[in-house]
Amino acid sequence: MGLRTATVFGLGLLLAGCADNTAQMTSDPNDPWESWNRKVLSMNMSFDHAVLKPTAEAYVSVVPEPARNGLHNFLTNLDSPVIFANDLLQGEFELAGETLGRFGLNSTAGLAGLIDVATPAGLPRHASDFGQTLGVWGLGANPYLVLPLLGPSNPRDFVGYVADTFMDPLNYVGIREIQYWEMGRGAAVIIDQRAGNMEMLDQLDQSSVDKYATMRSLYRQYRDAHIRHGQQDVKDLPNM
Amino acid sequence: MPRIFSILRARSLAAAWIVMLATTLSAVSAAAATPAETFVQQNVQRGLTILNNHGIPDAQRRSEFRDFLTSLTDIRRIAEFTLGAARRTATTDQVEAFVDAFRDYAVSVYEARLIQYSGQSLKVTGSTERAPGDYVVDTVLVDPNGKTSGQEPIRVDFRVVTSGGKFVVIDASIAGVWLAIEERDQFTAFLQQNNGNVPALTTHLEDLATQLRNGGARPPSH
Repeated sequence: MGLRTATVFGLGLLLAGCADNTAQMTSDPNDPWESWNRKVLSMNMSFDHAVLKPTAEAYVSVVPEPARNGLHNFLTNLDSPVIFANDLLQGEFELAGETLGRFGLNSTAGLAGLIDVATPAGLPRHASDFGQTLGVWGLGANPYLVLPLLGPSNPRDFVGYVADTFMDPLNYVGIREIQYWEMGRGAAVIIDQRAGNMEMLDQLDQSSVDKYATMRSLYRQYRDAHIRHGQQDVKDLPNM
Repeated sequence: MPRIFSILRARSLAAAWIVMLATTLSAVSAAAATPAETFVQQNVQRGLTILNNHGIPDAQRRSEFRDFLTSLTDIRRIAEFTLGAARRTATTDQVEAFVDAFRDYAVSVYEARLIQYSGQSLKVTGSTERAPGDYVVDTVLVDPNGKTSGQEPIRVDFRVVTSGGKFVVIDASIAGVWLAIEERDQFTAFLQQNNGNVPALTTHLEDLATQLRNGGARPPSH
């Protein structure tokens, strides 16, 4: 795929401006590692089809929906300390208050997070991470990067991912058991997320013209909106 | 990998934006302040009527929804935008064939998502005029079935422009992901890998539309 991409792209550059019916295509300047990235995406998809998807399907067929919802809520609640810290680092004190309220409410009345009682109480969940925090602080998103198993990212968000791991107090419970805790929690998160998005990933397979470009565009737009906390400057939209 | 799931969720929602447009508007604010907001509000109700009409055959309901969709949006404008730089170098015949294929592809994508309609509602929260006659109408997705329990409220924005004296939708954004921009990125990448061959893209869209109508999966190509 990488060789093909490079060859076709090189040919595209040579042809640019030469043929009447050939568009002048330029490389995406913010994706200099596209060839490598496409290989990694292909590997990730192979892993998904061979391992993740079948595991998630088995999980859905064996575990009843109320139990799956409970696990989802429990795992989501565990993210609260990291979300709270990043809310503070971003100066989003109102959001930090909401996160604190959610965590307190769900951890007690919600039976250790198994039931999301905070959302109906007017405290909906939001996500915050250190990659987002770095973005809020002004760090750029480029170049685009696809990581083995972790998927779409960039150097800023990868640093953020690592920082979030160190920032999470739950990763410091116990010393000898920490690796088992991390592995178990990580596996549960992945299966929970994969199971919850089964239909949507199938749709992506069926409707994408270029899955790599789709995911790249999604990642960039979504992360950009996340960093802006949904407050888009509509003047930046392209003319159509 | 986990983060991509939430992003893909946003994307899938983006691909279903027209379905959302056609969802219930029971929670819409009583006083839509601008004509663009009113346009979105009224057409959501119109789409809801079609989707909720289970007294007619499914094929007829889909056909009516297709007519509704094509009348609501400026498909040609969207299609030409998604073609990106290739629009300037493609021949007239190539562009016309592409627009036809894009219309069929887009409608097929949205039709395929009809079965997922589950009564979500959209609440209009405001709008901005980004340029004369070019508006972004903000809404928030509300899920009465609790499917978004524990999730951040999903923001849905519609880009509405005046064309020929009436409003048309030219793009929509779910959770910050603009659908037409995403499609342009896809098509640009495809063209880069196919020597800027617009007819090849057209054929590919036709194939995808056929597969979507048949409800069948295809082997991963990338």
